[in-house]
Amino acid sequence: MKMVKKCLFYIVAIAIALQFITPLVWMVLSSFKIDEVIYKDIGSIYAIFPRFSDLSLKSYTELLGFYNIFRNLLNSLLYASLTVVFGLTINSLAGYALARFKFPFKDGILIFIIALMIVPVEATILPLFSVVNEMGLINTIPGYLLPFIVNVMNIFLFRQHFLSFPGELIESGKIDGLSEIGCFLRIVIPSSLNMYITVGILTFLASWNDFLWPVMALSNADLMPIQVALNAIFSDTYNIFTSHIMAALTIVTIPIVILYIIFQKYIVEGSVQSGIK
Amino acid sequence: MKLEKRSPFIQVRNTTEHYRQSQHYKKGEVISAYGFLTPAVILALLFIVLPIILAFTYGFTDYYLLKPNDKHFNGLDNFKQMLSDDVLKQSFLNTIKFVVLVVPLQLSMALGLALIANKKIRGVGVFRTAYFSPAVLSLVVISILWTVMLNPTSGLINEILSNLGIGKQPFLSSASQAMYTIVFISAWSGCGYQMMIFLAGLKNIDHQMYEAAEIDGANPFQKFFYITLPSLKPITMFLVITTTIQAFKLIVQPMVMTGGGPDYSTMTILQYIYEYGFRHRNIGYACAITLMFTLFLVILSIGIKKLFREENVA
Repeated sequence: MKMVKKCLFYIVAIAIALQFITPLVWMVLSSFKIDEVIYKDIGSIYAIFPRFSDLSLKSYTELLGFYNIFRNLLNSLLYASLTVVFGLTINSLAGYALARFKFPFKDGILIFIIALMIVPVEATILPLFSVVNEMGLINTIPGYLLPFIVNVMNIFLFRQHFLSFPGELIESGKIDGLSEIGCFLRIVIPSSLNMYITVGILTFLASWNDFLWPVMALSNADLMPIQVALNAIFSDTYNIFTSHIMAALTIVTIPIVILYIIFQKYIVEGSVQSGIK
Repeated sequence: MKLEKRSPFIQVRNTTEHYRQSQHYKKGEVISAYGFLTPAVILALLFIVLPIILAFTYGFTDYYLLKPNDKHFNGLDNFKQMLSDDVLKQSFLNTIKFVVLVVPLQLSMALGLALIANKKIRGVGVFRTAYFSPAVLSLVVISILWTVMLNPTSGLINEILSNLGIGKQPFLSSASQAMYTIVFISAWSGCGYQMMIFLAGLKNIDHQMYEAAEIDGANPFQKFFYITLPSLKPITMFLVITTTIQAFKLIVQPMVMTGGGPDYSTMTILQYIYEYGFRHRNIGYACAITLMFTLFLVILSIGIKKLFREENVA
């Protein structure tokens, strides 16, 4: 009886798992086939179990011949890295000031930041577009990056983190002659690395996956991040090859898979934590 | 004797010193604090506060992007236009439909997956990874992948359906099915993430409660409804709030998969704002919609958070 129950559990669990991984497996396998094979296999088990003789890199070489997808990948990498570096610096400094220092209007600024957390940024994206447009920064990298460097949620998370940071450590740094910024750089950051990695990874993923804002802020093909370029390839009426599209989707997904493998702990814990706080 | 005399004096001095400290800020701290805060505050003012203020002013004008110097105050005209705008009405109803369907579907899928992935049984880590795997795909990748798989004539899904003896479905190219399809795809791609959060909650439930229930002869369903669900309530409420707000901002999937069609059946509020303001360059009208939509979301999020707090107290 217990054996039957166990088997039943495995059957259900595997059947559900198949529904989640089949699209991914099909995506990756189809990227290594040519279109004729994709559509010949589609009704059979070969759609997700390959015959190795059918697999080739043809679609990848063709895709890279038609589209300069590496440029878009590098753009995305650059944008996401810059957002992480500037975002971590600016948001953590602000969070630290709100947690550690006494200064006039502190409560006012804190309330201001908490109030901004309620405003959904995506909803106000159109007036944001006209702000950046009137600054003359549409189709420039600063115009694309600057609006999403400050993140009130992250300021708040950093503040909560620094509130529980041991004050004696900072005092001892001051006795050793460090300035406030010196204490921050030499003592606070090194002992808060987990926090920085977590927020950094979540920021990187959000920036890498962003679609709506780059569609509006960057229409120049040379500046496009990868997500926008993907949509352009997909809606390109001259491109009729499913295998090319699947190759492009696979290329875009690989860096994220690597990130998840390395930083899985931080990503999951970070999203759970930001939920509980 | 000496000490007794001195102690009240020291105490008084200490309190005045403390009093002075809280009144007068340390100069170094104040300077550092403002230095640390300035970049964040400037960016927030420019890119969060200013857009909100601009939405307020532009919403009452006929601002057209290509004629920036020719904008006129037109009072409540935009808002009157909104009342008689049928596509806007439909976009709003579509968005509501999406939210009402996707939140319960996605959360119950996530909870179900979490219950499976929480079983102490060999190979469970493989299942957890499999259920979580769509999380590595971006919304654009998900949308493109599913559009290809749902192709009405040659897509993978229709081949599977016809192998199972079910007829081919039009999915995204039918006004009656497109929104349901987007609901399903969103739940499919999002539930793995929430499964992880539910899992964290399940791990925190005290195992002794289940053992006690077993001694009392409770069956699995009773254990689920009387122990598991109530223990998960705070996490569930949190997920309901975040998923609801997130779902109201649906735009990428319809933008990539259907362009809002067929017959506006998948057009959402945010997409309508984008179409009007960005594609048609009609900033004034789009800002008026933005204003109402933002107001709606702010009231909604404050509302459910209040509800959440009262529930928690009770």
